[in-house]
Amino acid sequence: MSGTSASHFWIGIDIGGTFTDLYVVDPTAGRASTGKVLTDHIDPTASIEKGLGEMIAQGALDPRQVRRVVHGTTLVTNAVIQRRGAPTALLTTQGFRDSVEIGTEHRFDLYDLDIEKPVPIVPRQLRRPVSERILADGSIERPIDEEQVREELRALTESGIQSIAVCLLHSFRNSQHERRVASIAREMAPNLHVSLSCDVAPEIREYERASTTVINAFVAPEVGPYLRNLTGRLAAIGIDAPLLIMQSNGGTAAPEFAERYPVRLLESGPAAGAIGAANIARLSEEDRVFFFDMGGTTAKAVIIDDGAPLIARKLEVAHVYRFKHGSGLPVQSPTVDLIEIGAGGGSIARIDSLGLLKVGPDSAESDPGPACYGLGGLHPTVTDADLVLGYIGADSFLGGRMRLDMEKARRAIDEHVAKPLGMSVEEAAWGIHRVVNENMAAAARVHLLEHGRTPSAYTMVAFGGAGPVHAYGVARILGCSSVLVPGHAAVGSAFGLLCAPVSFEAARSFPVALEDVDWSEAEAAIDELRAEGIRLVTWAGLPLSQTVTEIAADMRYRGQGHEITVPVPVDALGRQAAETMAAAFAAEYRRLNAVSGPDAPLELVTWRVRVRGPVPTLSASPPQPRKGFGPCRRRPVWFDGVGFVDSAVVAAADLRVGATVHGPAIIELGDASLTVGPDASLALRADGLMHLIIQAERPQ
Amino acid sequence: MRREFLPYELEILWNRLLAIAEEQAQVLMRTAFSTIVREAGDLSAAIFDRRGRMVAQARTGTPGHINTMALGMRHFLEAFPPEDLHPGDALLSNDPYRLAGQLNDMSVVTPVFHRSRLVGFFASCCHMVDVGGIGLTADGREVFEEGLQVPFCKLRIAGQVNKDVAGFIAANVRTPREVLGDLQAQVAAGEVGGDRLVGLLREFDLADIEDLSDEIIGRSERAMRNAVRGFPEGRFSHVAINDGMDRPLRIEVAVWREKDELFVDFSGTDPAVERGINVPLAYTTAYSTYAVKCVLAPEVPNNHGSFIPVHVSAPQGSLLNPVSPAPTAARHILGHYLPSAIFPAIATALPDRVPADSAAGLWVTQVGGRKLDGEPFSFAFFSVGGMGARPSKDGLSTTSFPSGIQSVSTEIMEAASPLLFHKREYRPDSGGPGRYRGGLGQTIIFEVRSRGPVMLSAMYDRMRDVPRGAMGGGNGSAGAAVGADGRALVAKGRSVIQPGELVRIDLPGGGGYGPPGERSAKAIQRDLEAGLISREAMARDYAADRPDTSGGPSVLSVKSKAMTT
Repeated sequence: MSGTSASHFWIGIDIGGTFTDLYVVDPTAGRASTGKVLTDHIDPTASIEKGLGEMIAQGALDPRQVRRVVHGTTLVTNAVIQRRGAPTALLTTQGFRDSVEIGTEHRFDLYDLDIEKPVPIVPRQLRRPVSERILADGSIERPIDEEQVREELRALTESGIQSIAVCLLHSFRNSQHERRVASIAREMAPNLHVSLSCDVAPEIREYERASTTVINAFVAPEVGPYLRNLTGRLAAIGIDAPLLIMQSNGGTAAPEFAERYPVRLLESGPAAGAIGAANIARLSEEDRVFFFDMGGTTAKAVIIDDGAPLIARKLEVAHVYRFKHGSGLPVQSPTVDLIEIGAGGGSIARIDSLGLLKVGPDSAESDPGPACYGLGGLHPTVTDADLVLGYIGADSFLGGRMRLDMEKARRAIDEHVAKPLGMSVEEAAWGIHRVVNENMAAAARVHLLEHGRTPSAYTMVAFGGAGPVHAYGVARILGCSSVLVPGHAAVGSAFGLLCAPVSFEAARSFPVALEDVDWSEAEAAIDELRAEGIRLVTWAGLPLSQTVTEIAADMRYRGQGHEITVPVPVDALGRQAAETMAAAFAAEYRRLNAVSGPDAPLELVTWRVRVRGPVPTLSASPPQPRKGFGPCRRRPVWFDGVGFVDSAVVAAADLRVGATVHGPAIIELGDASLTVGPDASLALRADGLMHLIIQAERPQ
Repeated sequence: MRREFLPYELEILWNRLLAIAEEQAQVLMRTAFSTIVREAGDLSAAIFDRRGRMVAQARTGTPGHINTMALGMRHFLEAFPPEDLHPGDALLSNDPYRLAGQLNDMSVVTPVFHRSRLVGFFASCCHMVDVGGIGLTADGREVFEEGLQVPFCKLRIAGQVNKDVAGFIAANVRTPREVLGDLQAQVAAGEVGGDRLVGLLREFDLADIEDLSDEIIGRSERAMRNAVRGFPEGRFSHVAINDGMDRPLRIEVAVWREKDELFVDFSGTDPAVERGINVPLAYTTAYSTYAVKCVLAPEVPNNHGSFIPVHVSAPQGSLLNPVSPAPTAARHILGHYLPSAIFPAIATALPDRVPADSAAGLWVTQVGGRKLDGEPFSFAFFSVGGMGARPSKDGLSTTSFPSGIQSVSTEIMEAASPLLFHKREYRPDSGGPGRYRGGLGQTIIFEVRSRGPVMLSAMYDRMRDVPRGAMGGGNGSAGAAVGADGRALVAKGRSVIQPGELVRIDLPGGGGYGPPGERSAKAIQRDLEAGLISREAMARDYAADRPDTSGGPSVLSVKSKAMTT
């Protein structure tokens, strides 16, 4: 089945820990197909070639008609977590070589005297001081000692260093010294990778900036060869379309940019999921969407307002203790603002020393997996509870590819939860299901409230292997009455890759009172960032006429520490812009904090510039016709307050647009199951989305 | 009728309460003015039941705030019994002897009503930028010099700001806008928390949280009692001699167990002094219970229940239980030092559970004068030294303990003040040698670009009394503070600094654990290559011939390590 002459293809490639997901769409015909192959951990690009090769052989894809390939990668994250980067050194201002290790002098756990802090990526002896000094106002206090720079670079390259990070004090204000280091390095060692903090993360706070620059330097030498290898693999099967890489902020970038700023790829995979959900928000014209993605080990959540995910300015990676904030390395990089919760299908339930039922964050992962996998897992997990309660079927898990063992699930729950608490297996299973839902809802609620959002105003979009199972329960706790589930919920990230705009985002810090802003200086800086952005975006193959520039500023009340990002009018910088910005800031402050701001002067901290291409909107493919289950089946399913209820089990492929399925029911999606409670109903919309509507207030 | 909770219901409700307290703290951090609150996280927020028992607290905060607030709530209830409280009220006090020990720390309590009935309280404690008086220094001779005392009063009455109270405060502090702004933030955070709590009660159809708090407190108390039972029989004591101000001060502590309760008593401690380093009993109790909990039961939730089985006492009128008008503004110096006194006593009972001595007290540097353009300024920063080595690990270098405070970036400080930093780096050889090495302190060198001399007000400790090693480990290095030509600065008090004069402060390192002879050659080599210990120190502290000392540390030999670890 090769396309007609008019048809062409976009390909989304998401490499995960277990599977590599492929999503191929013909955007003009709206036709889509998916592929799934095991990830080759030695050479992940081999699994891409294999998966696409299979799709070509099946006739699902004509390689000559491919116009765009978008890739989400875990390469950078894994390299940082496993510390598999290049030999890297750091040049710092003399007297400050330990900033990147000392950090904030903070203990992230108040009571545990045994904590370990993250081991710095660059050990102390490779953090080399340079004699130079720039002051807070950007003036040069001491010129850089070029001879010393040469000596350091000579010694470092001779000892095998392949990449250097340069982070000098106040370089975000005056980059002259860092740039001098780069040009000396170019003369002396053209093959040495150089990451400058004034390029990678030009924002105030030397610890975070150095940490970001070091991570960039550490992984940079790996990214280029990887992307060239991938391009080669694609060429080998006849695809020579432009390759774009998903960045943490949900925009895509050309390989050249990805290679220069690999630190911006840290959340490449998770961002794709959020962008897919944003596409669904645009498609369904829902302007308040809460994206909920639950997999085997973790659940993730993202706020999507007006069709775009919220963006955070920084993140933390490579935690020493997985879900402990402060135990990781800080990164200043625009990132889809996502929360990660230690709650997934594999999360283990146990009774703690206070006699409480705890679920997660420990996970049985996929090996040995939940007890019901029968692969040797003995601890009860969320999946075991879901099986006992009837939310998932023993025969239809993963589209029937894996049969689940009900007896093993019951035994694990009985032994570790039901007996110790003196309750029935079903009741214990309900406790596990309810607690994990509560954990996710609690994290989601805090996230929404922290951003001044009201949970009940949101429509949930559920993805992931376990997302549709738990969406009903989580939505009910949050007071959300509406849930949208795409037919391809299990390959959401690969789909999301294709919904992202090409984009470039940069920032520059200039802390100054709003009334004292030197607008010509600001304009010059913004123009410089915009020119850089346009260069990079057009480099990715976009015509200039299609680029859009967005400017924003981080502001705060002088004396306060919390900055709020507000939009800045693009065409009217100057005094007038200051008034608009002040008004926008005051409104946002009130929304976030429920009180009006104090009578205090405003301060501008950081300028942000984003240049992007158009945002594509893809139609959601309706549930794919599969081998149906024939006529509607029934099985008992447990619901809150009523216990087991005889419920319909419907294959998604059997749903018809316009017809409504009333709960209690279970919809089999192939790779996942969707729970429809007794107070809910489900309809297939014309746009291919399944719409779960929860009617009543939760009963007390 | 008593409401029974299934274990999973209890888990759910308990988590909800914790999340509400956390949200209250987040609102506070976002809206506070005080640098110390927002950048350093020096605040606390918690939920109390209608009997004034702390049920849940935010993770953010320091023991000095959290624990004093938990213990101090009863004073608010004594001053304002339930019949005197109405929706929209907010209570305020900074009584240093009953609350957080220092006038700058303002506690705000918001009563919460549901179905026209008082169901609990939100309380928060924040460090104010200024409270008048001579400023934040140990120099006061009486509490009256240290600033404005705010007795237990209503900051807000039925939704309206109590103008008399606000007016008194505004008239008595140097920065009324910031102080009233921070108090407003505390009230707002309490309101947000109250709304959430009422929402929770509605959702779960509860009249109040009394049955829930009984469960939470009861379970926590039982867990704490269980942990206390593991403490051996006998009376374990220790005498620590702190630097003091004009003369060294004796702190004597005894720790013992009776059934499942633990007693910490400071009899034998020196009397209160006429300087602001006295520690009110609430603050003494806060850091004593914190020290005990870290060692015996770090995993037990911190609430009213976990305090019940631990009793702290100190003679009235002593350094650790002063009475008005004894000054207390710098009570954190000795307060932070209490784990250093208590840990050795516990270590005689449980030697493998307790780390070696840490640098302890947070160092506070405050500088005031005129900028180059003549504008007056006042600026303060905090810094910390090294932690003691642990029974199975090296100590953490330059890490805050026992306080939970964060430092501020050099770039931020230089943008906000006329200070120019020349160095902020680890201080080699400052960690006590041992099988496990103590954490390193740091060296900070700075100058002030001022018009004319400036006044540096210091609160530095452990200049003489070094952090001690444990189980045969060596001591950490003492602190030092010098100006130009090596002249020593006043450790707790004021020194005049000339424009451009280089000030150097060396923060103490933590003590080592176990005999240095048992340290692995690999660990010694690693420290040497990283420059954490010098060749001389290696020769002196560890058997010098053990590591390979031929040639200098090469970058190359480390490179391969960088790749594999």
